Amino acid sequence: MVFPTDANVLVGLDRADDAGVYKISDDLALIQTVDFFTPIVDDPYWFGQIAASNALSDVYAMGGVPKTAMNLVAFPVKEMDIAILRRIIQGGVDKLTEAGVVLIGGHSVEDKELKYGLSVTGFVHPLHVLTKKNLQTGDRLVLTKPLGTGIVNTAIKAGMAPAGLVDKVTALMAGLNRTAAEVMASFDVHACTDVTGFGLLGHLAEMVCGSGKGVRVFSRSVPIIPEALEYASMGLIPAGAYKNKEFRDSMVHFEAGVDRSRQDVLFDPQTSGGLLIGVIGAQAADLVKTLWEARIDEAAEIGEVLAEPEEKIWVD
Amino acid sequence: MKEIDARGLACPAPVLHTKATLQEEKPAAVKVIVDNAASQQNVQRFLESQGFHTTLGQQGADYTVIGTCGPEVGEQAQKSVAPEADSKKIMVMCATDRMGFGDDELGLKLMVNFLRTLKEMGPDLWRLVFVNNGVKLTIDGSEVLEDLKAYEKAGLKILVCGTCLNHFKLLERKQVGETTNMLDIVTAAQLADKVISL
Repeated sequence: MVFPTDANVLVGLDRADDAGVYKISDDLALIQTVDFFTPIVDDPYWFGQIAASNALSDVYAMGGVPKTAMNLVAFPVKEMDIAILRRIIQGGVDKLTEAGVVLIGGHSVEDKELKYGLSVTGFVHPLHVLTKKNLQTGDRLVLTKPLGTGIVNTAIKAGMAPAGLVDKVTALMAGLNRTAAEVMASFDVHACTDVTGFGLLGHLAEMVCGSGKGVRVFSRSVPIIPEALEYASMGLIPAGAYKNKEFRDSMVHFEAGVDRSRQDVLFDPQTSGGLLIGVIGAQAADLVKTLWEARIDEAAEIGEVLAEPEEKIWVD
Repeated sequence: MKEIDARGLACPAPVLHTKATLQEEKPAAVKVIVDNAASQQNVQRFLESQGFHTTLGQQGADYTVIGTCGPEVGEQAQKSVAPEADSKKIMVMCATDRMGFGDDELGLKLMVNFLRTLKEMGPDLWRLVFVNNGVKLTIDGSEVLEDLKAYEKAGLKILVCGTCLNHFKLLERKQVGETTNMLDIVTAAQLADKVISL
């Protein structure tokens, strides 16, 4: 299908990025994104927070500042207490407030299955838009949140995760990428995306495709929720992780020392995951240190961009 | 061979069904049937984590995992006997549910990690003994309960001090290991080549 475009579309459907970008003037562009899903935690208030954090994340990944948001609600009004919906929306609004974003509208429909999310609008300078597609040889990759939320959520569904871990993972998913984005803004960043449904290697593959570069991932440096490795070894892995792996299999090479559980976690679909940042090599250590100082404690340098092998991901 | 039909179930249900069957019936071999590749992979991982050898199959829309216990496979069994002759008997005694002194939260994390990592000792790990506050690691709600159960299933003998359980009024809540007495503990310590005490 061909979609019409115009000269002011800086990032559109032709290059599927985290969000669309439209130039308004020489020093202002609009970022637009929308995301909604079915509940991923039992607590409605936290579900609202996570959905909002997740929707905002795409704006941060484009290098922008979110400003306004609209609710999207599908709710089984006949079967479910409306108070649940109020809690969800309260969670969403509280998260928007934390991000300095205002809710200015929304729309709801009746549906058998509850869904919630937001469309978010943000601003960015047209020359400072960050996309997935600009990795340069010598860049280092920095990840700002640990992986494993999909696997841990599967273990929670199985009733095998302790309460403390449920809280920890909920807080992790609800955590904004705002601070990470603010820190990133003062470094020379070539490319950025946020890690969500395709897993770390799936999103990295998107960055590598068409870049003419290769990437090496230091799997032992990748921040991972420790329990996720254990649950992965027990087969508590969401189907999406296998789909992600199958889809990108031909691009990814694992060295013998990377055990199966770690491979699984690297493809684990994330909800509201961290930013994956390609920064010029000389600044990587300083970026990580500055992220730590901003209390993004699990940020880590996880890989490097190589001239070759082209469009391959080498995991060791 | 015990057959488990987990078709029509989404992850993680097939793994949970398999887990329940292993716990209740302790079969030496199982055949699990699922209807998608992801469930098949998950069941394979689970069975391997429980010490089974696995074979994958596909018949039409059905995916199968056959799991057999190590000793059933003749050659494997013989191999596993041989190294035992020169292996050590290590007894690990936990008299606390925290590792070290200072920060309790950190101590608990360290202990959990220690117990999970113990498997790296391989067949040398011979007895795991819990006394005093250590017995709290064997009751419901313990962060390492599943790990300890997996050790026990793999053949490790876990001894839990009965006097201590009684003292904390936890006798009913112990979920793993054999309730034991001081004579057993002393005997185990005497027979062991090495005792590691925490």
